[in-house]
Amino acid sequence: MAFDIPTRTEDLPTDAPRFIGKTVNRIEDPALVSGTVEFIDNLSLPGMLHCAILRSPHPHARITRIDASAALALPGVEAVLTGEDVARWCDPCFTAPEGWGNYCLAVGKVRFVGEPVVAVAASSRYVAEDALELIQVDYALLDAVANPDEAMAPGAPVVFEERRTNVIQSRTYTWGEVDRVFAAADRIVSRQFRWNRVGANPTETFGCICQWDLADNSLICRGAYQTPRFMAIGRAASLRLPANKVKVVSHAQGGGFGGKGGPRGTDIAALLSRKSGGRPVKYIEDRMEYLLAGGGQSWDRYYDAALAVKADGTVTGFKVRLVDDQGAGAEGYGTISAAKPLAAFTGNYRIEAAFYDLTLVATNRAPTYPYRGYGPPPHNLVLESLMDVAARELALDPAELRRRNYIRPEQFPYTVPSGNEYDSGNYAAVLDRVLELADYRALRETQAQARAEGRLVGIGVVSTVEPGVFDWNAYATVGVPGVGVPEGVKVAVDVFGNVTVAVGFNLQGQGQFTVAAQVVADYLGVDMNSVKVTTASTDVALPHFGQGGSRLGVAVTGAILGACDKLRQTFCRVVAHVMHTDPEQIELFNGRLRMKQAPEHGMSIAEVAGLMLSRSDLLPPGVEPCPEATFVWVSPNRNQPDDQGRCRSYLTAAAATHVVQVEIDRDTGQVKILGYYIVDDCGTRLNPASVEGQLQGGVAQGVGAALYEEYVYDAQCQPLVSTFVDYLVPTIHEVPMTVKDHLVTPSPVAPLGAKGCGEGAIHTTPAALLCAINDALAPLGLECRETPASPQRLWKLLHDQA
Amino acid sequence: MKPAPFDYHAPTSLAEAVALLARLDDEGCDAKILAGGQSLMPMLAMRVARPEALVDLRRVPGLDAIRLQDGYIAIGAMASKRAAELSELVREKQPLFHAATRLVGHQQIRNRGSVGGSFAHADPASEYPAVALILDMQMVATGPDGERVIPADEFFVTYMTTALEAGEILTEVRMPVLPTGSGWAIQEITRRNGDLALAGVALTLRLEAGRCTDARIAAFGVDATAVRLTAAEDSLRGAVPNSESFARAGATAAASLGDPMSCIHASADYRRHLVGTLVERALAEAAARAR
Amino acid sequence: MSTRQTIRLTVNGKPYEREVEARLTLADFIRHELHLGGTHVGCEHGICGACTILIDGSSARACLTLAVQADGANITTVEGLRNRETGQLHPIQQAFVEAHGLQCGFCTPGFMMTTLELLGENPDPSDDEIKEALGGNLCRCTGYQSILDSVRLAARRLQSASAA
Repeated sequence: MAFDIPTRTEDLPTDAPRFIGKTVNRIEDPALVSGTVEFIDNLSLPGMLHCAILRSPHPHARITRIDASAALALPGVEAVLTGEDVARWCDPCFTAPEGWGNYCLAVGKVRFVGEPVVAVAASSRYVAEDALELIQVDYALLDAVANPDEAMAPGAPVVFEERRTNVIQSRTYTWGEVDRVFAAADRIVSRQFRWNRVGANPTETFGCICQWDLADNSLICRGAYQTPRFMAIGRAASLRLPANKVKVVSHAQGGGFGGKGGPRGTDIAALLSRKSGGRPVKYIEDRMEYLLAGGGQSWDRYYDAALAVKADGTVTGFKVRLVDDQGAGAEGYGTISAAKPLAAFTGNYRIEAAFYDLTLVATNRAPTYPYRGYGPPPHNLVLESLMDVAARELALDPAELRRRNYIRPEQFPYTVPSGNEYDSGNYAAVLDRVLELADYRALRETQAQARAEGRLVGIGVVSTVEPGVFDWNAYATVGVPGVGVPEGVKVAVDVFGNVTVAVGFNLQGQGQFTVAAQVVADYLGVDMNSVKVTTASTDVALPHFGQGGSRLGVAVTGAILGACDKLRQTFCRVVAHVMHTDPEQIELFNGRLRMKQAPEHGMSIAEVAGLMLSRSDLLPPGVEPCPEATFVWVSPNRNQPDDQGRCRSYLTAAAATHVVQVEIDRDTGQVKILGYYIVDDCGTRLNPASVEGQLQGGVAQGVGAALYEEYVYDAQCQPLVSTFVDYLVPTIHEVPMTVKDHLVTPSPVAPLGAKGCGEGAIHTTPAALLCAINDALAPLGLECRETPASPQRLWKLLHDQA
Repeated sequence: MKPAPFDYHAPTSLAEAVALLARLDDEGCDAKILAGGQSLMPMLAMRVARPEALVDLRRVPGLDAIRLQDGYIAIGAMASKRAAELSELVREKQPLFHAATRLVGHQQIRNRGSVGGSFAHADPASEYPAVALILDMQMVATGPDGERVIPADEFFVTYMTTALEAGEILTEVRMPVLPTGSGWAIQEITRRNGDLALAGVALTLRLEAGRCTDARIAAFGVDATAVRLTAAEDSLRGAVPNSESFARAGATAAASLGDPMSCIHASADYRRHLVGTLVERALAEAAARAR
Repeated sequence: MSTRQTIRLTVNGKPYEREVEARLTLADFIRHELHLGGTHVGCEHGICGACTILIDGSSARACLTLAVQADGANITTVEGLRNRETGQLHPIQQAFVEAHGLQCGFCTPGFMMTTLELLGENPDPSDDEIKEALGGNLCRCTGYQSILDSVRLAARRLQSASAA
């Protein structure tokens, strides 16, 4: 059976979509605003214990002795877990590249401050924390490596002894005739950049409740899981359980952004459950644990990059050398973040050749994890900053330089040098619209006036491509196997015509339950209110991945369209059978299965479902009494990468241009955002308000990364940021209320023409702000090349010059 | 992040509270007074403060009045910052203290946080100690030997340390009414709106016959306690209030700082510079208000 | 004196009497003793505002308050917003739904409780006043623009309801 997944909304079996493309209230929201959604910490199980974790105060040390006897003797304490148990029962988590994983609890030595050393299960979290104070751990201190320079120095202490080096991976990628274009360039602009660590910090930290069934030797993990099946497989491997004996139940999450962590906490809670005779054990990571050692640290990067430019402004080559401080190992898949730029290495531009020299280094900082956008936010900051330097050197307007280099509409599908194929776009139109929206000329005039008054006002005009709908193949070069990321759903119609959609993921904030309901409702011609979306646990769910890589809105749309098409085909057979005609004579339209030739004759989907469930005597041969269908969607047309990592990886390419005007206070170094304008094009907007929400949320995180947030370590590798007093998540005062518009260039290959849109703004905002800051500084001959561009940093730049 | 265990007491009179503190002190019990708890609670949750007993003043009557008395404004130590913010008396008669109050945290914090708590906590980044210094505020402490009045310049000893004795309770803070015609300003630099100040300056200024007469300036967030910037004050005596004299006062203030604090958000140099800038800006703001 | 205390308080109109450990935070008491899970906990040190509730009508961070300090208090949590009989959403809740003022929804109860206090004190706030009021609540999803819209919408709805 072939399945038809429409790439255009016009191809849905209805006169006009009633829900898709319209701003609809989210079906998630009534429960969320009522406070009745079951976030993991709202759940209590009978006999449940509470876990607290003693963590390493040292960045690098050997554990010489652990005495937990006093803790175990404390009333209320049921189990204590140490590295000895873990070494007996577990394996280190798997990583990419393989072999850079830690055990869930330190075995023998600690590699970063905050690494779990001993865990306790007790009657309450309060008692568990009391018990931690009674545990004595002796350490023999080792020298720490605090940054890649130290880690790569000859004779440096080694974080993973068995590896004999701190270099996780070092390789180059050459795409096109790089040497030739650089030799032929009229101008080469090069700069170094430092992107300091930032991270996700969802408002809810990670949490789970694990229960080990000792009779069955099986495990149930309930928790704030972003990628349930992936989590289940990982737990099976690290806990040495058959994969079908690990069941993961994903609860609604209070945000994720990739940086939710989870494996360590889950394994620790699971082992404590095993040790306490199978009682459920709850672990709720607190904010200090999250900041020190949770999944919330990402992108610790040192860049050295160059652009080859012709006198007319044509950019022909782009070279990037990146040294990426991964922290203590690859347990969080921070490595992937460094490979993701391959999906859009050269941005919106017709740059013909590119070179990437990538070195991933282990240090005694906390391991790095994914964060929204994965690798491109820093990469785009480098590319776009160099574009601005080139524009300045050529005395071209930065918007004009970009326009000259854009991939042209007629060139799509367009294969970038690093191998990915962009599906569609119209970058010049996006630029035109945003310049109009911002009244760019007026912005430049106010800037000129401000400069005449001695004020530091700058404008950033930054364009980016957002690769949407990730595939594993994008990360093959850092050791991730496979092609094709599945997303499976089941669509079931009941006798009353209600529809239940079972998915493999749970709520995280992006509104995919609503998208699922919109698509089902428009396809099957029912009301959104009669669609129920529910999460299946991993033991019964279809293959799935869940949120990640700007994919789920598109992927779940594809999966539902596939399942609906299967249902349609079955329904047509059933209706044809009772109407004594051929299935080809029946069509689904506006919620009815009707005769093509006599549309007044037909049945509603409720009638067909009722018939299937109650009149097996009327079913055609070979049709089961089951008005349900499953479908597992993968991106079409993906392929294996070559040795330079080139492949069709991300299915869609959304685009945006941001224009921002800032003013720097000369005396304090503070940056004020005077105006912020966005035009984006992510194809069909399935629920426009949700798209805008994704954009604005990405702006906020981009503002944080560019101006406020930073995980600071001192020279001894001690983290200096462990609270929200010092990790500066922007408030409503710091985030600009943006002026937005959009264009729609549908994807010709993605379901309903929609492109991934969850990460576009964080791809763009940091670059836009830094470009604006450097535009403001340009008359002084100064440049800021480090993020965040904090008041202290900018003041120092200005002050050192004075 | 859960507090360690402690004994909890909620005495119902000031006398009972004082006696209780004396007894706990005799017993060698490390007791701490709980007012609004907005500074103490995070320290308890992180277990960086772990008193054996808390003495909660919430049931002690008569500690939350805000009133005009003998020409000065008296604010009961348990009055919330929000009450001080909403008090017309404070807003009209002591606008500097009012403005300082509005700079403390966010409304959720000001609703619960007491005025007295901030004085007793003596966080160097807090606005109140600086205001106390330039207004010559007085702190009323009640202990086993009765009441004593501690002037602001003796009250703040060093980082999070005051002149309060172990058995003493801060019961009231007193401040003069701002003289008619006085200029005043309080400005601070924070990373985010509502954060603790990296540096801040509070000042009052009088002008007579077009000259500065009585400038009183203090900085906060830069040293272990709020500091009076007397050199800058001196530089303004008799000066014409204009951008030159204000810039000179700012430079003098910056130069007069000993060894400013340093943290990840602001180095000592940066803090020193900010104080200079803030003095200059705050003087301009105050001069515009002075008549 | 003891590490345990008996407290009496009213939550969402319902009186409770419970013996609690003195060190128990009000946030934990509400969530785990009264099983009102809508008051979320995001940082436990008074920065994020997710646990904002009303104590005697004034907004407060439940993580910065001990349960024993709420003895005698009248508390409102997010569960107290919706009409108990009809289940109808409060105009503030409805406005957050319609103006897409939430994504993951974890911080939302805190924002709505802060909004409840704001609109009680100031039925027609300016944008700056809204920002001033909400400055102590962190949202990591929305970028605040739709939250600002939600509060404006709620203010309009409540005003027209009180005018009618």
